[in-house]
Amino acid sequence: MGENNIILKIETLSKHFGALKAVDEVSFEVKKGEIVGLIGPNGAGKTTLTNLATGALPKTAGKVIFKDLDISNLKPYQIARYGLTRTFQVVKPLIGMTVEENVLVGSLYGRDKRNTDMKNASKRAREIIKLVGLESKKDSSVSDITLPDLKKMEFARVLAMEPEVLFLDEVMAGLNPTEVEEASILVKKVRQEKDLTIVYIEHIMRAVMGISDRIVVLHHGRKIVDGTPQEVVNNSAVIEAYLGKRYAKEVNNEG
Amino acid sequence: MELQMLINAILLGGLYALMGIGFSLQWGISGIINLSYGAMVILGSYISLEFFNLFHLDPFISMIMSGAILFVIGAAVYRTLLQPLIKGGIVFTLILTFAIRLIVENIILKVWSADYRTIRLTYAGSNFQFGDAYVPLIKFLAFIVAGILIYLTYLFMMKTKTGKGIQAVALDKEGAQAVGIDVEKMYLINFALGTALAGLTGSLWASIYSFSPHLLGPIVGKVFIIAILGGLGNIWGAAAGGLLLGIAETAGAVFFGSEWQEAIGMVIMVSVLLWRPYGLMGKKFFG
Amino acid sequence: MFNNKQVNIFLIIVGIIIFIFLPRFLSGYWVRVITTIFMYAVISQGMNLMSGYMGYLPFGNAMFFGVGAYVTAIGMSKGLSFLAVLPLATLTAILVSILFGLPVLRLRGHYFAIATIGMSGALLSVVQNATEITGGAMGTTLPIIDKSPEVTYNYFYLAMLALMVITSLTVYLVIKSKLGFGIRSIKANEEAANSMGINTTYHKVIAWAISALFTSIAGALYAYWMSFIGPDEVFDIMIAVNTIVIMLIGGAGSVLGPILGAFVISLLSEVVWSTFLEYHLAVLGITIIIIVFFVPKGITGTITDLIKKRELRLRKKVSV
Repeated sequence: MGENNIILKIETLSKHFGALKAVDEVSFEVKKGEIVGLIGPNGAGKTTLTNLATGALPKTAGKVIFKDLDISNLKPYQIARYGLTRTFQVVKPLIGMTVEENVLVGSLYGRDKRNTDMKNASKRAREIIKLVGLESKKDSSVSDITLPDLKKMEFARVLAMEPEVLFLDEVMAGLNPTEVEEASILVKKVRQEKDLTIVYIEHIMRAVMGISDRIVVLHHGRKIVDGTPQEVVNNSAVIEAYLGKRYAKEVNNEG
Repeated sequence: MELQMLINAILLGGLYALMGIGFSLQWGISGIINLSYGAMVILGSYISLEFFNLFHLDPFISMIMSGAILFVIGAAVYRTLLQPLIKGGIVFTLILTFAIRLIVENIILKVWSADYRTIRLTYAGSNFQFGDAYVPLIKFLAFIVAGILIYLTYLFMMKTKTGKGIQAVALDKEGAQAVGIDVEKMYLINFALGTALAGLTGSLWASIYSFSPHLLGPIVGKVFIIAILGGLGNIWGAAAGGLLLGIAETAGAVFFGSEWQEAIGMVIMVSVLLWRPYGLMGKKFFG
Repeated sequence: MFNNKQVNIFLIIVGIIIFIFLPRFLSGYWVRVITTIFMYAVISQGMNLMSGYMGYLPFGNAMFFGVGAYVTAIGMSKGLSFLAVLPLATLTAILVSILFGLPVLRLRGHYFAIATIGMSGALLSVVQNATEITGGAMGTTLPIIDKSPEVTYNYFYLAMLALMVITSLTVYLVIKSKLGFGIRSIKANEEAANSMGINTTYHKVIAWAISALFTSIAGALYAYWMSFIGPDEVFDIMIAVNTIVIMLIGGAGSVLGPILGAFVISLLSEVVWSTFLEYHLAVLGITIIIIVFFVPKGITGTITDLIKKRELRLRKKVSV
């Protein structure tokens, strides 16, 4: 790995849609084992950045370097196999298959080349299903389960791929406060057991603050802050981005 | 020689243009690949045939009847058979429209047999001169009428409330719904308009050429090409596509012999699909 | 089928044995009819792998049937034996599927289906026009087998039966394997499949190659059997239509479906042809409409649904 154990490096990454700069020269680094929160108001470019990093969208400029390899021009499936995966903001279940089958697909095509035969993959899939607590639903068709379970399923599916870096794209969307709490606990638990590096995309501050080692804030496609949760919370630029100039002034006047 | 060929090509292309627009609208907006489209076209021809045999009506007049009847048939078919099954996906709609083709084909065979039919018009032989070339009067008239109909279709889409409704639905279904447009009704009218255009083409075709159920399949092949060339749902695109096909066929027949026509057409279509799937005209829906 | 794997295997073996000995009890006419059923089952299995399992409908798939038939015809006219030409025929079909598959499989749903129709039409035209090689529109002959008619059609009956069994078994094994999960994921959600490390292009091409393989063997056998083929016959769009209807009525997404469907449709056609000759097109059309409206999941799909409903009801009873 590179200096300081940096596993993922986003280098002046840009994505323009015509005149719209959805992602504008964003750079940051992720160390192995970190949870980096990626936050910003709606439309800040978080999901676009995820799409760029995972190869789902072609970049306009910049580089994505993963495990010292420039993955900027690789196809999504290649990047996934190399160890960089993501979940989707709007869940994308494999329709027509059961929960177990969904996780199995992740397990079959995941990173560990040695164990991607049916027998080992099935075993791993079952373990992961147990880990996330979906055992009772494993034979249900994905069309028959609730949203929180769908999110757990997608989480399990991506874990079954044995990723090294995982982009969690707004997993909390659509969950009620109890479910958010449950999900946070699950993510923490899994991160510990699986030695994962996580880029945690959210626009609900509460969920991200408690769990992240570092936070990167995007606004209008640009990175405006990169620091610890404490630093970010008190940063006026962040407050301005979320709540507008007026509140930022108020905080500055008070602080 | 070239001028004659060009004129033949354009006159043919005009008819193709009208023919292709109906199919393109059905595919591009209503989302239905209508394999029975060929049957609808020649049904229009046969309707004009009957009006000619029974009432001595010129096909240029009886085409109004063709258009109306085919409009109703299209609406009925769409409402009863296609609309319920659209969510089933392409396999269902394809095989369903094929089933409709079989039924219409059988009816045509029973009533009119497989023989080629013609409508013998008194002014069939007249032509006038344009430079070195001879322009057959009927073909010219048909071309003009086709052009007018295409323009009328365009006006309908751009200026009438229903037409604008159809456009809205084509561009943004949810948005249209949100402003209170009856989406299903728009799809229905659009589809029926498509079959009406088919019927109108059939009548025009009958005034010039002979026709029989043998044309069923090849027509579908042609309108595929036109629709893809022009971009699905694009009126002027389909018009251009029709002209292009007319030119390609005429030139192809001269240079390669008419047997290679179909192969050339198919190769063009697949090539366009691969390099410009939105058609030569790009992504815009209308005009 | 039934939940016990051994029962299923037993039933299948019994079925095969019955089929092997069936010709003794049937007239030549029916032996030929059932041979055609086996053939359609093979073509439908190929279609089903692509459409029912992977979600890509190759409307023009019959082109591989034509390729198999014509390469066989041409090869045998040059003096090669059937067994020598067969690998050539299948190889050609597979090559076509890969060469055209790579660009064409990138297209979405509608466009892919249409492109395959275009390909099929183009191939038909080429065959019709390359008269020196293919005999053109008038067709071409193959060496006639020097045996009695009865021995001949029994031979082809068994050959088609064997092909059907091998094809069905292959599709079954593929679907249950890792490759099969990749293929099914493409239908389930292609974008998700890509993000999960599945090389969808590779899977699509392989699936089509398998489909082409078996369809072309069916074509090769057919040509040898008929001793005479014409381009309109082996590149006929009706082959595709029939296989789609067979898939629909048998039930897409099941290995048994195409076989059941082939039997049902053939028997239906026999009835229709003998009763409604003049209206057979319309009757076929109406039949399609009825199937699509009332049995959209086909026989196997509807039975599976019924079984699931029964299980749900039983489960509710137990919990109450």
